[in-house]
Amino acid sequence: MPDNQILAMKGIEIQFPGVKALDKVDFDLRAGEVHALLGENGAGKSTLIKCLTGVHHMDAGNIRYDGKEITPTSPQAAIAMGISTVFQEINLCQNLTVAENIFVGRQPMKRLNAINWKSINERAEALLSRFNIHIDVTRPLDYYATGIQQMVSIARAVDIKAKILILDEPTSSLDENEVERLFDVVMDLKAHGMGIIFITHFLDQAFKISDRLTVLRNGHLVGNYEAQSISKIELVRQMIGKNMEEIFALKRPTVAPDADMMLEVDSLGITGKVEDVSFNLKKGELIGFAGLLGSGRTETAEMVFGVTRAEHGTIRIKGKTVRIHSPIDAIGHRMAFCPEDRKRDGIIGDLSIRENIALVVQSQRGALRPMSSKESQELADRFIRMLDIATPNADKKVSELSGGNQQKVILARWMATQPELLILDEPTRGIDVGAKAEIQRLMLKMCAEGVSVIFISSELDEILRCSNRVLVMRDRCKAGELPGGTSRQEDILQVIAEGSKAEEGA
Amino acid sequence: MRCMADRTVLSGWKRFTAKVMNPKFIMVFATIGVFLLIYLFGALKYGGIGFTTIRTFLNMFIDNAYFGISAVGMTMVLITGGIDLSVAAFASLTGMLIAYGNSVLGVDPFLCVVIAMVVGTGLGALMGAMIHYLSVPPFITTLTGMFMARGICSMISRESIAINNEAFNALAGWKIYIMRLVDGEWVKIKPLAFINFNVLLFLAVILFGAYILGSTRLGRNVYAIGGNEQSAKLMGLPVARTKIFVYAFNGFCSVLMGLSYALYVKSGWNLALLGGELDVITMAVIGGTLLTGGVGYMLGTFFGVMLKSIIPALITFEGNLLSWWGKIATGALLLLFIGIQRIVVTYSAKRKDNSCR
Amino acid sequence: MKIKFNTQTILKSKITWAIVAEMLILLVCLIIRPEFFQISYQPSTGMLYGSIIDILNRSSEITIIALGMTLVIALAGTDLSVGALVALSGAMALKLMRWDMGQYPTAGDYTVTPMIWVILAAIGICLLFGSFNGLMVSRFGMQPIIATLVLMVAGRGVAQIITNGRQMTTDFTPFKFISQGSVLFLPMPIIITAVIFILMAVFTRKTAFGMFVESVGINRNASRVSGLNSSMIIFVAYAIIGVLAGISGLIYASRIGQNDSNNAGINYEMDAILAVVIGGTSMSGGKFSLTGTVIGSIIIRTIITFVYYFGVAAEATMAFKALIVLVVIILQSEPVRRFMSKRKHARKLEVGGEMHG
Repeated sequence: MPDNQILAMKGIEIQFPGVKALDKVDFDLRAGEVHALLGENGAGKSTLIKCLTGVHHMDAGNIRYDGKEITPTSPQAAIAMGISTVFQEINLCQNLTVAENIFVGRQPMKRLNAINWKSINERAEALLSRFNIHIDVTRPLDYYATGIQQMVSIARAVDIKAKILILDEPTSSLDENEVERLFDVVMDLKAHGMGIIFITHFLDQAFKISDRLTVLRNGHLVGNYEAQSISKIELVRQMIGKNMEEIFALKRPTVAPDADMMLEVDSLGITGKVEDVSFNLKKGELIGFAGLLGSGRTETAEMVFGVTRAEHGTIRIKGKTVRIHSPIDAIGHRMAFCPEDRKRDGIIGDLSIRENIALVVQSQRGALRPMSSKESQELADRFIRMLDIATPNADKKVSELSGGNQQKVILARWMATQPELLILDEPTRGIDVGAKAEIQRLMLKMCAEGVSVIFISSELDEILRCSNRVLVMRDRCKAGELPGGTSRQEDILQVIAEGSKAEEGA
Repeated sequence: MRCMADRTVLSGWKRFTAKVMNPKFIMVFATIGVFLLIYLFGALKYGGIGFTTIRTFLNMFIDNAYFGISAVGMTMVLITGGIDLSVAAFASLTGMLIAYGNSVLGVDPFLCVVIAMVVGTGLGALMGAMIHYLSVPPFITTLTGMFMARGICSMISRESIAINNEAFNALAGWKIYIMRLVDGEWVKIKPLAFINFNVLLFLAVILFGAYILGSTRLGRNVYAIGGNEQSAKLMGLPVARTKIFVYAFNGFCSVLMGLSYALYVKSGWNLALLGGELDVITMAVIGGTLLTGGVGYMLGTFFGVMLKSIIPALITFEGNLLSWWGKIATGALLLLFIGIQRIVVTYSAKRKDNSCR
Repeated sequence: MKIKFNTQTILKSKITWAIVAEMLILLVCLIIRPEFFQISYQPSTGMLYGSIIDILNRSSEITIIALGMTLVIALAGTDLSVGALVALSGAMALKLMRWDMGQYPTAGDYTVTPMIWVILAAIGICLLFGSFNGLMVSRFGMQPIIATLVLMVAGRGVAQIITNGRQMTTDFTPFKFISQGSVLFLPMPIIITAVIFILMAVFTRKTAFGMFVESVGINRNASRVSGLNSSMIIFVAYAIIGVLAGISGLIYASRIGQNDSNNAGINYEMDAILAVVIGGTSMSGGKFSLTGTVIGSIIIRTIITFVYYFGVAAEATMAFKALIVLVVIILQSEPVRRFMSKRKHARKLEVGGEMHG
């Protein structure tokens, strides 16, 4: 074992009912290195980590940590050993203060067995300023944005003097600035000798920050590479076994200049949340919404769809002014909406795939006209085939599907209503490359069939690839509009930056 | 939109206001405020006939101390996001054990109390274990516990049994009179006002509860679990131990409530404190404890007890009002407070949205 | 509603254990005293008699409420006010029947108000209060336990006020028929329960309403985005249980021939909730089973009847009930069910959010 190797997992195997999740996987980590763990959904990345952190028990294989063989039995035990994890979802307690979240369970005490609050607050402050974050640590955690909360998570791990820090999809909910700061922190920790495992779907980020990359596919180890010696294209090919060009041979929708106007949004807004947004959308056109996190894209979409009620502004559909006060109204106007947070707003976990897919169609028909099981079965089967949803049958509970397949079910639900206007909010987030391309292809196919699409995404290349026009939002208002075909990433970033520059001066 | 970069840490006084301006703590203020308002109303209307005397004030304590003791344990259970419907049943069982044990079996009543404490705490821990390890919802587990306790109580005796033990009755009758200096001598104030063992027990328990919640790791773990149990687990906190402790402690408080009530009525009865668990929950909720968990303060519970106690007091002073108006008034009060809770929670969510996303 | 009949599903299903429990109890009865199962026919009253009939008859009040409670619980809520509504229903009915006690001071076979209005008014006031609950929970977003606690506390007060604290008696034949009469050889309460069960089964499973309820109960947000009027669905559920509580209250009042605002409906909410949970519906909302609820209610009543029939001390009824319920709950709990169905890996720990492969 090389001198600075702190972790060596060898021959890890785990069998779940019906599927071998990990098959003789090896993984190792050195002190002071950032090692990215890549692979599609279902490749086994999270499962591997769960073995390390004591959530799952391996069927075969061993783990050597710091020279000794270990079998972590629970997250508590793993933490005690110095293996700390920061998850995609903030796993802290929103009702406690920032300082408390860092120290809960191990608070410094005064004599008489009383917590030393002063010490907690001071130490928390010091810890966070090391990461260049200066906030009031006595405020409850839920007062702060996800980016900050993420940092607090990391600060806790650092203070526990973890030797290994696992970052599981840490950047999914962060904007560009917050990602920058995260990377600064990671480099700092790396310099101090911590070993960092970085799980992500964002290949650019993986390349930017990692020293080595390990790729898993379908539970197998595909390979272990030095970041400098492999190209992105080659990496993708390893991950999915296909060529990237094949996947991304997509064509932007063509819109005739005299096509009908589908949607006209005029000064839509809610005071304090989103400033007056205006845009048009023709039939069969695809408009992309670009912007940093928190720029108001989802809020705008939610207003158009009636999830939240706009305070002022008008919406015209096919020339007629309409009132959209709830999703029911929107659906009545042949709109569809795939929300960003599929767990919270999308899937009905305990219901079957069939029931999930039929949900909106059924809600349109009302309670008194139920679909027969034959009807709903046919509907479900049709979409399972069309979207290639990986399931043995339509009666499986949606909660048992992988993220990508869940997204497909939600998409199917809306496609089943044959909408004229479809809003997709981050439909490819947290989904593997293959499924991403599928969904984008599907979206464009719908445009070709005359459906107008609003496509919200944080990945600029996706937006540029698919959109006829790009609407850029910044700070909760519309910053500009660019043509899709001729713009580049820099153009969009320019529009976004225009605002920040002004602010920085203030 | 860089929103959090330069919020520097606040000093002393500002930090205090920041902590206290926490929207959830505002609910405690609301409780105190409403209490003062109602007291003021009582003072204005019935001041002439003695509402404002210290005696009246202390009587509220004396008449409700036993509920207050249980409210302390209940607050902790509620903070973890659970609930305990068995408290009144366990209290009733305690009273019955004391009465039956002493009057029928001739056992020393304080020994009975000790036995009850062991049983109550043990059963509480058992419920906590069932809730945690078997994932049975707290509502159902403690409901079953309640039926079990009432059932066992009924099996012991269907009729009320008086407690005639000298030492016990002496404790029940023990008073500390409020005195004042008159011409260099301590004289009892008139009208006679006093506190008794129950009140002291209540104060001791609530102070202990406040200490646990505010100054021990265990207490902070209680809040963490209530905030997000999954996260607490992942952060390596001892969730199982903490939850079991909370229910065990609540079991202990139930026994104390039983003792306290037995001292108050000097008897044991299987229908004692029927429906009492809801009185206790009401006190905690009025005191600012959220049923969803993660939020609760002993100070709030204290005033919640006071607020609930003042209503029967007012009714007594009104004289010809039927007592069920008290029930309606309590219901209205509860409605008021959950309304306030809703508003505060929505408001704090809105605030968060604006500050940083 | 497709039912898959492989052994895995059966063993994993919660309703299985409910049925097993009931079968076991009946088996024990059969062995000890076969006469338990005797059914005899009484030509004078035109009714069948026997312990089985008795169980079905006496469980009616709870079963009817529990059917409504099933929907409420499926929506991740509870209704603690049903007991108070039962008392309210009886109070309203008796008040109308004995309206002018000055003119008709003695009870007898008469009613001052026509029967149809008596029934409609009693059910109507419960519908009103049920709607109030529904409004609080759906429109104002209040937590069901707390929102319905308000009426639980205040409801009996209102009942007392309606009747001026009096217990009024009646001997009016059509009213007594509700509980004493029979149709098709079966006691009226059984018929009423059966009709309600059929209506509710049709309403939930032959329309899409049942699926809507499950959807809203599992994920209210997602259901709303998918075009469901979740507020309306929730409101309707509470209104329905209000009506059912009203009907149950009429049966109860008819049985005892008077209104009893103190004791009518005591513990009904708890029994109803237990029936629903034993029947397999989870308290966290989602999939529900009306059949399971009926079985659950029958189990509870079987235990009580068993106890009386076999001379087990009446006082032990409650403890016995608690014990059986405890056993069923444990058998239904996640860990035990998994163990029983011998799944190879209990590995559904969802940690850190996304469930990757």
